[in-house]
Amino acid sequence: MRWLVLLLFSALALAQPLPGNEPPPDLSPRVFEIAAKLRCPVCQGESIAESNAAISQESRRQIAEMLAAGKSEQEILDYFVARYGEWILYAPPKKGVNWLLWFAPALGVLIIALALWRYLVEARRREALLGIDDKTLEEIERRLEEE
Amino acid sequence: MRRWLYFGIVVVLGVLFWWGLQRDPGELKSVLINKPAPDFELPVLPPYREQWGERFRFSDHIGQPILVNFWASWCYPACYEEAPILQAAWEKFQGKVLFIGVDTQDQEDKALEFLNLFGITYPQVFDPRGQVGIDYGTYGVPESFFIDAKGIIRSRFAGAISAEELEKRLLEVMR
Repeated sequence: MRWLVLLLFSALALAQPLPGNEPPPDLSPRVFEIAAKLRCPVCQGESIAESNAAISQESRRQIAEMLAAGKSEQEILDYFVARYGEWILYAPPKKGVNWLLWFAPALGVLIIALALWRYLVEARRREALLGIDDKTLEEIERRLEEE
Repeated sequence: MRRWLYFGIVVVLGVLFWWGLQRDPGELKSVLINKPAPDFELPVLPPYREQWGERFRFSDHIGQPILVNFWASWCYPACYEEAPILQAAWEKFQGKVLFIGVDTQDQEDKALEFLNLFGITYPQVFDPRGQVGIDYGTYGVPESFFIDAKGIIRSRFAGAISAEELEKRLLEVMR
């Protein structure tokens, strides 16, 4: 029985987030969910959720206040876009030239697949040429000599 | 035919590379350019209260060109380089352009030390949370917004501004 309790507690301990990774107690995980969609303006490759820069801390606080005021996620994202432009969004909105960004990876894969397919066709053709049996090869050589 | 295709790709990549090199990473385009400057109301720092009152509301001052400068005492060296330039320009343009310093995410005592160090005489407001900075879409400090008499943002400068650049932009909003 004692072992069972110990095992249960160990399992619970494992289920906890790593120390330092959990959101501060005063802000709800929902704040961090929205903050993760916004780029930290003063950082390199960090979202407002991850960054500890003063501007990110204040942005998280503003998100929490807007949520408490009943604003929707889209309204909050729009608030930041109106001030920083679409640059602030981690996922560029699917419109206009942005479609290029969304399709570029698929286009890249398609180009690589086409190039690979062409290479394989060519390789198979060569293999087919090289794969001639000795008898036929001798026949070809004999004919060439005759000419 | 194929050779031309490869040549074309190299040329396109070369042009893109050249274009990238020409871009100034310090030149941050604000989405607020040619839009009304966000209004704000903040407490005035103690040494400026006698002349400017307890609180400063931006919209009360529309009607003259305005320079809004975001700074902090912890912003070293950029804000320290910029402060004497701003003060000199204020002495020159006072009466024609209103300067407002927004002390951002700072401690009041440190901010007062900074202002005392440079003998800053134009009004200073205190924004410990940095809410107004986010409203203006700032990336950091120092940052300056040049606003015309109608309250429209005409340009933004990120980083420590030089005397020449400052004067050029002030003359632009005074037009």
